Order: sequence, then C-alpha cells, then structure tokens
Amino acid sequence: MTTPGYAGKILKVDLTGKKVESIDTSKYEAFGGGYGMGVALFWDLCVAPGGWDLQDPFDPRNIVSLMTGPLAGTGLPYTGRTNVSGLSPQAWPICWFSRSNFGGSFSATLKMAGWDGVVVQGKAESPIYINIADDRVTLEDAQSLWGLNTWETQEEIYKTYSSKNHGRYGSEWQKIGDNYTTMLPSIVTIGMAGENKTRIGSLIHGGGSGAGQGGFGSVFGSKNLKAIAVIGTGSVKVADARAVRDAREWYSTKFPGRASSTGSAACTGCNRACRKRDATLGKDSDGCTESIWYNLPSPPFERTSTRDRSRAADIAQKYGINAFDICFGGPMAFPSPPDHPIQPAVPAHTGSGWYFKQLYDMGIIGPGKEIDTAPLPMEMYDQVEFAEAYATAICKRVGIGDLLAEGVARFAEAVGRISDMDTILRCPAWGFVDHWTMPSVEWAYGNLMDSRDINNHDMSLNSRTMTCEEVVKTAASGTLPCEGDAFMFDYSWQGEQAFETGVYSRHKAEFVAWRQHYATFYKESMLLCDWAFANLMSMASPDGKGATPETEPLFLKAVTGKDFKFADGIETGRKIWNLKRAIFSLQGRHRDMEKFAGFMCRPGASKAALGGRLPVYDGTKWEFQDCTDMYLDEQGVEHWKTAFYDVEGWDNMTGYPKRKTLEDLGLKHVADLLQARNKLGSG
Amino acid sequence: MARAPKAGNEKEQGKKYSRRHFVAGGGVVLAGGALSSYAAPTAAAAPAKASDYPQSTAYLVYDSRQCAGCQSCMLACSLVHEGEASLSLSRIQVTRSVLTRYPYDIQIAVCRQCPEPLCVANCPTGACHIDIANGNVRRTDESRCIGCQTCLESCPFTPHRTVWKPDASKATKCDLCTDAPYFSKPGGPSGQQACVVTCPMGALKVVHELPSQTDIGGYDVNLAPPPPPPGQFGFPGAKPKGSAKSAPEKL
Repeated sequence: MTTPGYAGKILKVDLTGKKVESIDTSKYEAFGGGYGMGVALFWDLCVAPGGWDLQDPFDPRNIVSLMTGPLAGTGLPYTGRTNVSGLSPQAWPICWFSRSNFGGSFSATLKMAGWDGVVVQGKAESPIYINIADDRVTLEDAQSLWGLNTWETQEEIYKTYSSKNHGRYGSEWQKIGDNYTTMLPSIVTIGMAGENKTRIGSLIHGGGSGAGQGGFGSVFGSKNLKAIAVIGTGSVKVADARAVRDAREWYSTKFPGRASSTGSAACTGCNRACRKRDATLGKDSDGCTESIWYNLPSPPFERTSTRDRSRAADIAQKYGINAFDICFGGPMAFPSPPDHPIQPAVPAHTGSGWYFKQLYDMGIIGPGKEIDTAPLPMEMYDQVEFAEAYATAICKRVGIGDLLAEGVARFAEAVGRISDMDTILRCPAWGFVDHWTMPSVEWAYGNLMDSRDINNHDMSLNSRTMTCEEVVKTAASGTLPCEGDAFMFDYSWQGEQAFETGVYSRHKAEFVAWRQHYATFYKESMLLCDWAFANLMSMASPDGKGATPETEPLFLKAVTGKDFKFADGIETGRKIWNLKRAIFSLQGRHRDMEKFAGFMCRPGASKAALGGRLPVYDGTKWEFQDCTDMYLDEQGVEHWKTAFYDVEGWDNMTGYPKRKTLEDLGLKHVADLLQARNKLGSG
Repeated sequence: MARAPKAGNEKEQGKKYSRRHFVAGGGVVLAGGALSSYAAPTAAAAPAKASDYPQSTAYLVYDSRQCAGCQSCMLACSLVHEGEASLSLSRIQVTRSVLTRYPYDIQIAVCRQCPEPLCVANCPTGACHIDIANGNVRRTDESRCIGCQTCLESCPFTPHRTVWKPDASKATKCDLCTDAPYFSKPGGPSGQQACVVTCPMGALKVVHELPSQTDIGGYDVNLAPPPPPPGQFGFPGAKPKGSAKSAPEKL
C-alpha cells in the first residue's frame, strides 16, 4: 500500500524511445522525496549502467528529474516546491551533479495528477512537450512553441485546455477523464536561454517561479524538451486530515508569517506569500534575485528604479535565464577598505553583468579589442535597455554573449582571467556567484562540499532580548541528534581559538555536517521552502526557539502516519548526502579540488555581508561581534576539512567515502561500485 | 475603499439567473408534490414563493485582491470535509491565471447561500436542503443524493458552486463547515469555517447580513487590513513597535 502523502508513482519519460513508464515510488521511499529520490534515480539510471564518464550534462544519458515530496499539496505551509536535479551545465570546472528547485503550484498539481515526480532521459528528435492530465501522459509536438518565451509558451498551452471557456481561463469546470477541475495546467518551461543551450538556462513556471541555479533549463533544451504541463484532478491522501490541518494552524499561530500586504502571491499552501501579484510591470513576480539582477551597485551608480528592476525581472523570466549568474551587482554595495581591489564599494553579487563591466573599465575588453564587447551598447550600461540587450546577446549567443552564455566562471576562463577569482570575481566555489556566503562560514563550507551555492537562509541567530550565550545555547538545543554543542555557533576566526572552537574547529565541522544533512533531507527532499521555513531561532516565539526541530516531525507524522523522529530525517539526509558524495567522487571530486576561490582568503572576503554580527567565543565568554572583517586562512580551511571528512567518514587524503560509512547507511552496492572504479576511501 | 469594477460576467449571470429562476418555479412544484417524502427532517418545505425561503444566517465573503492564490482554503476545505487534500473536491474554488495582470488574475467562487437557492429548489430528492437547525445553511445530504447533477445545472453561477464528487458519484456544496468531520473546531453558520481560519491573508470572512447579490461589492469585498501606523515604516524618529518586525530579510 502506498504510504499516505505519496502519490505512489514516478513518471519516467524516455524521449529517445518515446516511451512513458511508471516507477513505483515505494522503491525510492527510503530517500524521502525530492532531491533524495533525484539522487537515487540518477544513481540507478545514469551511474549504475556504467559506460559513461558522467561529465557532459548535454549527453542524452543525463537525466533531469522533477520530484515532489510527501508534504506537497497537503496544505501544510512552505511545502510548495519542486526539486530539479541532474548533471549541471553551470557548475565549474566539472559539471557536477547538482540541484535546484522552484515554487508555485506545480508540485501540488503533479501530486493530484497521481505522480510523485517526473524523470526525463534521452533526447527527442524534434521539440516536444510532456502533457500530463492525471494518468494520461502524452508527448506533444512543440515545434510551434520553440522560440516562444516562457510566458507565451504557457499561454499557448493554456489554450489547449481553455477553448470552451471563451478565454476566461479556468472560469468553468473542465472535464478531465471522469473528474472535473477549474484549474489551469501548471507548466514548467524554458525560454531562449535553455533552447540555445547556454549554461545558464532556467526553468520557469508561471510568471516568476523559477529554478535558476545549475542551468537545468539548458538540460531541457539539450533534450528538445520545451515544457512539462500538468493538470491534476485527484487528491493527496494523508494519514490524518485533522492533524494536518491542525498542524498548519498550530504552526501559523506560533510563528506568524508576514503575509498581509494586498497583492501578494504565494506558492500552494504557503502562508508567507513572498511573491507579488501586482508588481509594477511583472506578473507573478517575486522579490528574489530576478528582481534585482539589473540593480546597479550604488555607489558608484545611481539607485536603480523599481520600474527598471521590474522590467529587467520580466526579461529574465521570459528569456528563462539564471538571473544570479548575470547579476549586475545586486541590491546593495558595501564600502570597501582602502586597499581592496574593488572600489569604491563591494557589490552584493558579482555576476557577469558587473564583472564584464570591470573588465571593460580596465580596458581588457571593448570595441575593437581582441575580445570585443559587440553587440552590447556599452554607453547605455546604466539604462534598462542595456539589460535587454545583454540578456538577448547571451540567449542568442551573439558576439560577447557567446562567451557570457557559458556562465561567469567559464567567461573569466575564456578571457584568460581566472585569477580574478582571487580578487574581484567573487565566486566562492564551483563558479557560483557569491550570495551572502561570508561571514556565515557554514554557508561557505556548504558550498565547498556541495556543488552549488547552497542557499543557507534562515539559520540566522537573531534575538533582541537574549544574551549571546543564551542565543548560542538556544540554537544548539535544536541541532538533534548532536544537540548541546554551543561551539557549533562560534565564529571566532583569529588565533588559536579559531582552531579550538571557532571556524576551523571540529565543532564547525560537526555543524556543517548537521546543516548539510538537515538541508539535504528537510529542505531539498521534503521541499520545505529554504527561504521561509527552517530556523533554529525565532523572534516570534517567547522562548526564542524556532520551528526546528519540533515542526518537521509533526508535519511528517500527520501526513504519512509514521512515527517519525527528527533525527530520522537527519540520518536519511546523511544517506542522500553520501550517495551524492559517491557520484561526485566518480565525476572526479578529490580533496585537492575542494578549495575556495582566492578572494575568500584575503581581507574583504566578508565585505558583502548582510548581518555580519555573529557569536564569538574568546575562551572565556560569548559576545556578538562584527565579523565583516573575516577572511579565511588556507591552512585553517585544510584543518577544518580534515575534521569534516573525519566527521563524515570520508578518506582524509582523497575525500572519497569509506566502505564502512556507506555500508552503515545501507549503501553497500555503492561501495562496491566505487571500489571497482578505484574511488573508494581507504580505512 | 472604492473599487474599479473587475472584468466579470455579472451581466451574463443576471441573465442566467432570471432564466433559471423561471425554470426553478416548476422544480419547486415538483419537489413539493411528487417527491416530498424524500425531504430531510430538518429541511424546510419548499415554499410556494421563492422569497419565502428562510435566509441563511451566515455568508462567506472574500477579497479577491487580498487573496495570494495559495489555495490553502481549498485544501483546508477538502481536508476537513473529505479527509484528503484536493482542489477538485473543494467547495471554494480559487482560480488563478498567473499570467493575467492583477487584479484580474484571481477569481474566487464561493457558494452564496442564495436567498432563493435554485440547487435546493430543483433537487428532486430533497438532498439539497435548507438546514433549519443550523442557521438555514443550504446543504447537501449526500445519503439522499442520487447523482442526477440537477444542482450542478441549476446553480446560476460560473463555475457552479455545487461540487461533483466523481468517486462517490454525488454532489456536495459548501455547508459553512456544519458537517466537517475532520475539523477540530465547531463549524457551521455560528461557528468557524476551515477556509476562513486557514487563509493567511485575511481574504475570507463570514458575515451575518445578506450581502448584495453581486460579486463586486456584494461577496467580493474589501477585507484589506488598515495600513500600519507610520512608525512601523521606520520613518526618522519613529520608535520600533512590537516584536514581530525583524531585521532585514536576506534575499
């Protein structure tokens, strides 16, 4: 019998053979859902068959999986996301196995159509889209959609459903099989950036829900897959409907969201509503990266108007381009120290839009030079029309756009400036642009041990009333099953203390391991929204404790009926994390590669910091200190890595997982395969 | 707050209403005559004149501009009534066309608890009835429903507010949570409703006066909270208020 919460089936589409199959979800239930199932599916469909070096994300053998979790579509808050995974064209220098996710209504609709996820392999001969109407799945010709932007594509697919409604979308019940719905299909699609196989094509659903990081829109493009549309008229079965609704109310009362402003938009089930229905120009847009990618850093530029930012946001959504990679600096800039290589201020996100302008200003690229900036009208850099020209050049791979389409790291490589990562090009690891990485070192370390910017939101340690010691103790009470170690939250970074309890210590290794296992399961596999949900601290609750670790098992038990313990999720997260580590090892990951970009180890590394006040222990007492001067010490990082590999049960010399580690997690077959390929850790 | 009219089909609805109203008269005679033995014990006998129907003591109203389209009300509705999360089984339908410009992107369809309920008037078995014991809410007694879909056809609104349950081959409708077996609060016209308590935006509300029988201004009303006092915007000299406001959010 299918466990409540799960639809019971995973849809497998082989585009090469035009075959549609169903996989029993129960086979993958041990991996939870979302990313966990995505990792396990990748292992079974891409790694286990062998005969492939796992390097080229555009190889038809690569899969792209869109997976939901048991919580999706139940009405529990923050459960509206869909995980995407596969080999990532954006990751650099190796196209690591990676992930992204997006919100909206797709995951709930997919579940109601009877599917826990969709996994796509192969390559269609000509453009197609996958049309899912409950259990009826068809591969539809998409030649007329190829070339349309993401919004036009969705409108065209809507028309195939709404002809009887005289253009009033969804206003009448439509019959799907024997059932009825008033809903429009939920569609995830690609735009020009994906079609033309840039490395930074995103997946767009609705007006502004997108999976940008990783470039999975380009993987769609490489498969001639334009879109997946789903309409679902069924239901998500839950173990205890009363408990599910009560859990939602309990949560919303204890941790009131901020949803109140008229014109907000939310993913299915969310009570936070971070997006907007009434954006200046955008439709269903949100306040995240796409709305600030064309935001010129101020200083030195004038403040970019909301109108211009919204216009640029629409461009990013319609073209389906990863706004983070092409960012022009981001929402704010931070005054730089006198000797810092970036003057006068360090922008938040040094994407290609900002970086290539630095090269232009330095005279390295420009009209008539070896690397010409044509067709970009450089004199219009501070006008929003430039944003459109920039995105168009990339998406069509015209002129310098052809280089930029490779993503900012490969662009730097192509212009022979990879050493800029030591100074001005702030990509902490694997070519992903700096987010708010430092001085929250667990975010930085997470990037290094994973394959992308990990999005470590909501681990902030906020309190107005508590002392620093109270804060770290409260936070440490939530990190089950290794709770009680307050030094996990020590950010001392200078002198011996950094090695004993601070950022290079075993305590920090334990925390990063816990954080990764937590996120791998709860955020990425159960799809609890990274931005809205997980927190160890909350200013809304009287004792300062956040939703973690009380809420997660409550939600899961109500939905699945299983007696779920918080630590069970951490352990499943560890299993997924290790299986992913095995995939990395096969792809070529080695301890020697796991090094931060040079700028992380130089003064100024934490200059683009939002919330730089962190707990610091000086050997006798705790104190909140401004850590925006923090930068890392290479030897210190190596010290931390040794501790981290030890915590994880990985080989200290190579970083490969050890047999015992894998076998303890029920992954003996993985250990066997690693051994056969000479990638198993010793000891 | 004055509101510009939304693109709607009220004119069309009005037309339908009067046409079907005429048809309904025949239905009332039929129900009162041939099939009166099916009437539920709590149901009011179908009156000879439509205006003689006892009025519901509660009405669900909404604010389609305040709504965030999260569908939490729909999922709550099907959870508390059917024990499973479904959009198709929800008795409130929130339809969002995400690519349509605000405020035309969201349409909300709630049962109006009509003063002259055609679903009740036309039901051949008395399954669709007025529950005198529960504030005159218009309800469906599913044990009496024969699945003829007359109530779906009779509802004068688009989409029809009566809901089809394909697995059971029966119709159902909003009962203001009078009979919500999976709801842990007392429901019904004088109690609470799962959709209202679940809505994070305050976009749903139950009122006890009969609204004007229109969408705009009748059932689709302004429920937006008053703007916060100026101090909360962080104007110079303003003191921070309360503990709910937090540090700037990382994006």
